[in-house]
Amino acid sequence: MMGRIWTVFAKEVMDNVRDRRTLGASLFYPLLGPALIALIFAVLGRTVLQQSERPLSLAVVGAENAPGLIQFLQQNDVEIRPAPANPEAEVRAGNYSVILIIPAGYGEDLRADRPATVRLVADRSRQSASVTVSRARSLLEAYSRQIGSLRLRARGINPVVVEALAIEGIDVSTPESQAAGLLNITPYFIVFSIFIGGMYLAIDTTSGERERGSLEPLLINPVARWELVLGKLGATLVFIMVAVIETLIGFAVVLSFLQSSFGVRLELHLLTLIYIFLIAFPIMPLAAALEVAIAAFTRSAKEAQNYISFFTIIPALPGMFLALVPVKTELWAMLMPTFGQQLLINQVLRGESVLPLNAIVSAIVTLLAGLIFMFVAARLYEREQILFGR
Amino acid sequence: MIQVNGLYKSFGPVAALRGVTFSAPNGRITGLIGPNGAGKTTALRVLYTILRPDLGSASVDGYDTMAAALQVQRRIGALPDSHGLYPRLTARENIRYYGRLHNQSGEALERNIEALIKLLDMQDIADRRAEGFSQGQRVKTAIARALVHQPQNILLDEPAGGLDVLSTRAMRAFIRRLRDEGRCMLFSSHIMQEVSTLCDNIIVLARGQVVATGTPDELRQMSHQANLEDALVAVIGSEEGLTR
Repeated sequence: MMGRIWTVFAKEVMDNVRDRRTLGASLFYPLLGPALIALIFAVLGRTVLQQSERPLSLAVVGAENAPGLIQFLQQNDVEIRPAPANPEAEVRAGNYSVILIIPAGYGEDLRADRPATVRLVADRSRQSASVTVSRARSLLEAYSRQIGSLRLRARGINPVVVEALAIEGIDVSTPESQAAGLLNITPYFIVFSIFIGGMYLAIDTTSGERERGSLEPLLINPVARWELVLGKLGATLVFIMVAVIETLIGFAVVLSFLQSSFGVRLELHLLTLIYIFLIAFPIMPLAAALEVAIAAFTRSAKEAQNYISFFTIIPALPGMFLALVPVKTELWAMLMPTFGQQLLINQVLRGESVLPLNAIVSAIVTLLAGLIFMFVAARLYEREQILFGR
Repeated sequence: MIQVNGLYKSFGPVAALRGVTFSAPNGRITGLIGPNGAGKTTALRVLYTILRPDLGSASVDGYDTMAAALQVQRRIGALPDSHGLYPRLTARENIRYYGRLHNQSGEALERNIEALIKLLDMQDIADRRAEGFSQGQRVKTAIARALVHQPQNILLDEPAGGLDVLSTRAMRAFIRRLRDEGRCMLFSSHIMQEVSTLCDNIIVLARGQVVATGTPDELRQMSHQANLEDALVAVIGSEEGLTR
């Protein structure tokens, strides 16, 4: 039994490795995701960099109330401009990214060692303004710290004593905040690789076999149909695994490149890659079985390809959703094959710890779904219609 | 030894077999002749286990094609109606794949493959990919892979289809040789000349039924025709779908 399954498996792998078209397509599509990420960063990353390098132009209401602060800002390359009459409306309209309001009581509060209120008017929903807003905020915080230390020194206290924590600069720099949103699509591209990586092989080994007229003689051999199906599934699985490994390496290369050129702090260590591969693994037999079943059911290779392409898009839908609305990684989501894994991979990418229960439930549910489709594929092969399609 | 009893098989509204009974003994060449659409391919497909009859049964060496499909598959070698090769595999690899599926391996398998390659005179194409094979080269390879496990019963569906004269002659010699080794040879054809020169027994199939069986002599006597081909036309009732 194992010998026959192995024979079918080995033949399908060799046969398809020799097929330059199948091989080329199988090796090309998995790189689509990493290439897209690289492209987006190349375009977006440049505009982000330009924003942070340009001198910050800040509209200020009541600049005369805080000459010290204004001087500090100017020393830090901030260009101070007069503010319009209605700051909140102007920011909401998008005419200004951020407006600083310094109330009249500022100087008095400062002299009395009370926290002096300044207001930063910003529109948080406006992505393009986020760089400017966070630069303004961090400059204000720096000034606040500077004044605070001076006060402590004046009282003979070393300012270090109030720093209970020495917070190492985990650089929440601006390109990264933009990056995180984009990286949400990474999990989908891994799922995409799984489906696309197996598609050509599943079609060639079933629909292709039928169209070449080699299926009828094959079925006459003393091999149980489920043994044929397992051999073909195994070959499909190998191609899927190669595709996923390729995608992961692609992402690792792209991210390390982005890190060096854009300062994106998102490294993919080998261990992380293996972890992601293991989380994604249960989807692979599911995709292979689904694709072989579709190829066994449909009338022609072309029809099979249409159906499989459709199934390749379905897992993208929750992924797209994920990119827009952050979904908490909860147990119910683990019951949905491909969706659960996308959430888990996202967690791994963000460096969050993955709950073992979530990982186990998602793996078991997905593997069971794969088992069901394997059974379906074997049953489809048992039918005599397998020869003619449908 | 092949036995077919009262086979019925329909595809939707089309009745392909309507009570077909015949047998093919060992050491004889049995020919299944009939016009296109008579049910020859369907009958053979039931025999090589890929179609289930609606009614009736078929057996090979006493094993039922439905109940003991694996036993039947081990005992037959078949050249089915469609006999596509794997174009990216060489002839030898195509043959080896089937040998392995029959649980053969190692040197014994390689010896069998080599013997068939010699026997079918295909040394020149043995290690070429099947991609650009001519029809004759394809048929030879398909026959070699069907016989790599040295089956006792051999079923050939239109083996001479598309072969040139030389290949056809070689094919006939090959079929006779297998017969002389004591194997059960069953082949189908719609070419009367082929059946008349080759067959020890003839089964005439028309419209899904057996309309006559016998040796060539018996068929000639039965239809009062001196020529076997005329005899076949007479029992079928029409020349349509046949080739002389």
